[in-house]
Amino acid sequence: METSLIKEKIKDVLISVLDHNNFEMTDDLTAKDVDGWDSLSHMMIISKIEEMFNIKFKLRDLNKLKNMGSLVQVIQSKL
Amino acid sequence: MVFNSFGFLAFIIPVVLLYWIFFRKSSRLQNIMLLLSSIAFYIIGDWRFFVLLAISTLINFYLGISIHNQKNDKKKSLTLRLGVILNIGLLLYFKYFNFFITEFSELLNIAGLQSLDTLNIILPLGISFYTFQLLGYLIDVYNEEVEANHSLLEFSVFVLFFPKILSGPIERATNLLPQLQKVKEFKYEVFVDGLRQILWGLFAKVVIAENCAALVDSVYVDYESQPGSTLLIGAFFYAIQLYADFSGYSNMAIGVAKLFGIHLMRNFSTPFFSVNIADYWRGWHISLTTWMMDYVFTPLSFMLRKYGRQGLIISIVATFILVGFWHGANWTFVVYGLLHGLYFIPLVYSGKMNKSNDELNGLIPSAIGLIKMLGLFLLIVLTDIFFRAPDLSDAFKYFEILFSASLFKRPDIMIGSTTNFTLLFMSIYFAVEWIHKKKSHDFEISKAPLVVRWASYVTIFIAILVFGRSSETFIYFQF
Repeated sequence: METSLIKEKIKDVLISVLDHNNFEMTDDLTAKDVDGWDSLSHMMIISKIEEMFNIKFKLRDLNKLKNMGSLVQVIQSKL
Repeated sequence: MVFNSFGFLAFIIPVVLLYWIFFRKSSRLQNIMLLLSSIAFYIIGDWRFFVLLAISTLINFYLGISIHNQKNDKKKSLTLRLGVILNIGLLLYFKYFNFFITEFSELLNIAGLQSLDTLNIILPLGISFYTFQLLGYLIDVYNEEVEANHSLLEFSVFVLFFPKILSGPIERATNLLPQLQKVKEFKYEVFVDGLRQILWGLFAKVVIAENCAALVDSVYVDYESQPGSTLLIGAFFYAIQLYADFSGYSNMAIGVAKLFGIHLMRNFSTPFFSVNIADYWRGWHISLTTWMMDYVFTPLSFMLRKYGRQGLIISIVATFILVGFWHGANWTFVVYGLLHGLYFIPLVYSGKMNKSNDELNGLIPSAIGLIKMLGLFLLIVLTDIFFRAPDLSDAFKYFEILFSASLFKRPDIMIGSTTNFTLLFMSIYFAVEWIHKKKSHDFEISKAPLVVRWASYVTIFIAILVFGRSSETFIYFQF
């Protein structure tokens, strides 16, 4: 799947969980930059992304997630 | 050996001088000096468990390497499990064995069977702190967050480094190990900042915490015969005592480490200036909270991610029960943790966990921010009763009296000149914290004019001499 399409889908997930779209989907976007993306909503976002792409994360994958770029990479590696 | 003793002063001065004069050439030499002084420090504190600490360090050192070298994923995970069982097993034995035996015996009694005997177990110095540090290290190596350390010297200093061995901060390999691998250079500003932080911690401990302790002890010793209003005052002073005691200790520990050019992680960041419970825990015992978040909450909430909010709530409550239980084998701590976990529930539903609050920004807080802050503080004061009470029945009794009609009676406490001075110093203490709430620590006054700095040092020094009370222990040493 193309990176831009993956990002588009992630964006949909974020909007559905966080209820707003006040963020730019750049590679260096981090959770801190997005209002409401906290340690609590994080797992909901992760779970929704798994559903959306029909993939399964491992706990160790989560440690690799530093920003949007790395999230896209991890998802891509699982498709 | 406590930091606020002349014994420690006699220990630290020669160690610092030797370190910077004869051992400054290489990181190896510096580490040798740090290790020798740390061993001496621990043995002076309590020689009986040094062997346990040494063996524990050695085993974890080889476990780390073994996890790192293992190519087979299954064996890697098996080695990690072995490490976790070993470390937790030791902690369970020394800290919780008698608790479980007593509880189990009661069950046997109910069933009409003979009860079991408890053992006479002494808690090894610092075990709760170094066990968690070692566990974190093994998990980090397993997750490839850090490389396994291959130098026994560096690793031993990582575990034993004396400023933090007794009561933390619970350090992380990612922060401390890289610092031990480099030569530490003497930096005047860092050294002076360390001294400043020690002075501030000492002030918090011997002036604030110890004077509060005297009041609190006088309330708790026969709380049953006091009116509710006195108990409320006692609970208030205990919340302050607990904070000043442990944050004071932490500031001293971090300050002492700076004298060696080593930066330990921050352990407290003005927790009372918070508007919700999540905010409070971001500032309270940070090294334990972040440890629990990373190694307990995250895996748990990941496991339960399918259950949405309910999954999150279960994860939070379970994590905080563990935070409570970490403090000791007593139901009071379990209730303390449980309550804190429950306080998160409204936040989960409002979705305001990490929302940055600007209600307390600036020198003057907004009215709504102030109300929230005071409300939260009252909640903390009341919850801390579980932390202080010897057992649950005492805690409940304390609450019963506190919330009786006698809450509106005149409090019985002696408002003497000491209490007045304690209140005055507390106000100064929190005012200084308020002004520095965005700084790297509460007494970061390096940019203040020379006159202000020296006037502060002299004032604090005199306050310590005149109003300080000596104490041989810290609340957190028992954990």
